Amino acid sequence: MNRANKAIALLLLGGKEYVALMHVHKDFDPEELKKQMLEFVGKINQLPPVRSNVKRQYRERTVYYLDILEVENKDVLFKVGVESGTYIRKLIHDMGEKTGLGAHMVELRRTKVAGLTEDDGLSTLQGLEDAVYFYEKEGNDKPLSRVIQNIEKAVDFLPKVWISDFAVDTVCKGAPIAVPGVVKFNPFKPDEWVLIYTLKGEIVAIGKAAIDSSSLKGIEKGIVIRTDSVIMRPGIYPEYHKTQ
Amino acid sequence: MGLPYEDIKREVITLRDEATSEDYGAYPDRRDIKQKLDFGFILLDKPSGIRSKTSAFIAKRILSPLNVSKIGYSGTLV
Repeated sequence: MNRANKAIALLLLGGKEYVALMHVHKDFDPEELKKQMLEFVGKINQLPPVRSNVKRQYRERTVYYLDILEVENKDVLFKVGVESGTYIRKLIHDMGEKTGLGAHMVELRRTKVAGLTEDDGLSTLQGLEDAVYFYEKEGNDKPLSRVIQNIEKAVDFLPKVWISDFAVDTVCKGAPIAVPGVVKFNPFKPDEWVLIYTLKGEIVAIGKAAIDSSSLKGIEKGIVIRTDSVIMRPGIYPEYHKTQ
Repeated sequence: MGLPYEDIKREVITLRDEATSEDYGAYPDRRDIKQKLDFGFILLDKPSGIRSKTSAFIAKRILSPLNVSKIGYSGTLV
């Protein structure tokens, strides 16, 4: 929400897990079908469905894992971990084509996004509406603060650098992180996405690593992270004056 | 096998000991509602049958009295 929006795109890096119910059109041997479904693990080429918001051309996507949970008559319940942008309805259709049995998707539930699961405080639109009502009409902020979670929790899977208080405001204005600003860090590689945090653990910005973190210990100046998207607005931390 | 980045344990390397001033900023777990609205996300249990985009639109409408003007989503692909 609001400024935290920019961080949401990072969730796409982490992949997704779904539980899907597939209905197969003809009778089949469960062991044989299982074997053929597992052949979809790895790189696949997918044509986005007609009714989609992206250009209809083949795209390469990765299926990380596939686990068959239950087979009952012509219904197959399975769990699948995929790269962002993989269409499960299409995957099921293609499995049906490949096996010559024909298949379509009956139900789908997303169970993970970049490490976030259903146990991480899922809320409904109704729950959100109620929480806003309690806050607005009764001044009770408890339900709303349960529904709204800290954005840091969503992007926690990426490496971080923690910066000095004096460097925060310049980063909020788009400046890169230079060596003197870095207090501690998780190891990172050049070009990797890195989260920029304050020493209090607040997200300031998202950037791309300019160097390999292993060289940080031996240098005293130079750019470490190039700021890409700023989350924290300027003015929260004091302005930096060179004379200080 | 899991999803990328899953269960990664990252080492923390400290270059120097430094404290942060309590005069500004806020520890994430001590944010008030207004601060949370700026640094927040909602893990939404989307009703089946409506699009992610529609859900985000409804959520935005619900939150609009609280000055939330932007809502993005990392939507489900069905």
